[in-house]
Amino acid sequence: MKARMKRILAGLAALAVAALIWLPCLHLFFSRPVSDFRQAEGLSPKARELAARHLQLWTDPALRDAELKKMRASNAEWDFMGRSYLVWSLANMSLREPASKPLYLQTIDQIIDETLRLEKTEGMYFFLMPYAKDRRYLAQPAHSLFLDGEIALMLASRRMVEEKTEYKPLLTERVNAIVGRFQKSPHMILESYPDECWMFDHCVALDAIKMADFLDGSDHSALIRNWIAMAKQKLVDPKSGILISSFEADGTPMAGPEGSSIWMVAHSLQLLDEDFASDQYQRARKELGAITLGFGYAHEWPATWKGEANIDSGPIIPVFEISAGSSGMAFIGASTFGDDKYLASLATTLDFAGFPSRTGGRLKYCASNQVGDAALLYAATLGPLWEKVKTGARP
Amino acid sequence: MKIFSGKKPAIFQRAEFLSARDMLQRAAAISVIFLLAHLAGFREYTGILNGTIGSLTLGWNLSAFLAVIYIVFYLAFVVLVPVLVLAAAILTVWRRWIQKLEISRETPNGKS
Repeated sequence: MKARMKRILAGLAALAVAALIWLPCLHLFFSRPVSDFRQAEGLSPKARELAARHLQLWTDPALRDAELKKMRASNAEWDFMGRSYLVWSLANMSLREPASKPLYLQTIDQIIDETLRLEKTEGMYFFLMPYAKDRRYLAQPAHSLFLDGEIALMLASRRMVEEKTEYKPLLTERVNAIVGRFQKSPHMILESYPDECWMFDHCVALDAIKMADFLDGSDHSALIRNWIAMAKQKLVDPKSGILISSFEADGTPMAGPEGSSIWMVAHSLQLLDEDFASDQYQRARKELGAITLGFGYAHEWPATWKGEANIDSGPIIPVFEISAGSSGMAFIGASTFGDDKYLASLATTLDFAGFPSRTGGRLKYCASNQVGDAALLYAATLGPLWEKVKTGARP
Repeated sequence: MKIFSGKKPAIFQRAEFLSARDMLQRAAAISVIFLLAHLAGFREYTGILNGTIGSLTLGWNLSAFLAVIYIVFYLAFVVLVPVLVLAAAILTVWRRWIQKLEISRETPNGKS
């Protein structure tokens, strides 16, 4: 009996020592230099592999249909956002790799044309979650800023790479409509769902307006300035200082600060107000970002806010409170603000727990989906479009 | 030709709980199950982690079940298996060192 106890104790001690040796080393088997994910110029190996998979989806209708059906079974928004992120990525890639521009532009045009066709034939509810039909939009006729903002940014991004005359009136019309609704709204807040408004959608729409100004010589700088002033005053969580993610049409908060929103919001703000954008990223990084044993991840909420897992946060992994949604979007924040240490640690986690699958130079993450992979591709390629608006000459 | 003699190879013989052999047997079992799950393509169902159905044909429940099996055995394979193997090595080295120490105690002045 004594010998048995002694053996078990020795076994447990050996396991403890082995765990102390192995756990801090585990990340080394998955970590790669940050340049494997994102490069200052050209395309990183991961961006190239992810893009190859997405380009395949848009040349193989059966494969695309299967992917989209799986996503739409959970959330029709993902179908739409997957298109947006891919278009924005391909626009950045065109500027990074001019030799491949014709192929990228062809895919961009295909995505935009099909998206506009679906919006026209199926109506805006096609890309919204079913509860959009449960209530009436407060502002009539009904419009979703979610759709209008992202479509406008798709059109503007395409035109930033190379002018396409057919898209010019489409962008102008959509931007003018958004601006008109902003001007009519007593609180400068527009709905994405009935009486449900999202920070993410406002920032993307304002980016599109800013790009349209750059492209067509209009000037909505006062609108952008006033909106940011309003957001700083009304839409910031007082405890964390982070912009809240959703609110009612009169500005009443719905959800608090959320990782699935703020990383992209900080990225979008970079085009509108660099100091505020940087402030929001630093706050999000402090409150939501974490690195444990070399693995980077992100929480959905700051410690001061209690929320429940939802379709945006994804499942929350207990103990570490890891949110799949927030961690995925954190790539965009870290990449935008050159936070290489955090970006590399996030990429380590992605290769550890994202279940990469490579076939013929194409990469997908099995734990992700098309929209998740498209957002990762965007994180790996973003930069040139924003830079062109901030510093470049008009095309 | 042990395999035909009716006697199990050492790795398949029942080991004492938490002995080095026991740890190696557990590590081997986890590795084999993970390998089978991997070869069976269960990795494809892990999209459940972000709320996406793994397969419309199999449905939510079966997709989630296959995903959980894959994730559990993957984590066991990358976290637990190396720990078990390392622990078995530590135990073996420690046992040999103790044995050596005991032998040298039994034979003072280094005489054998």
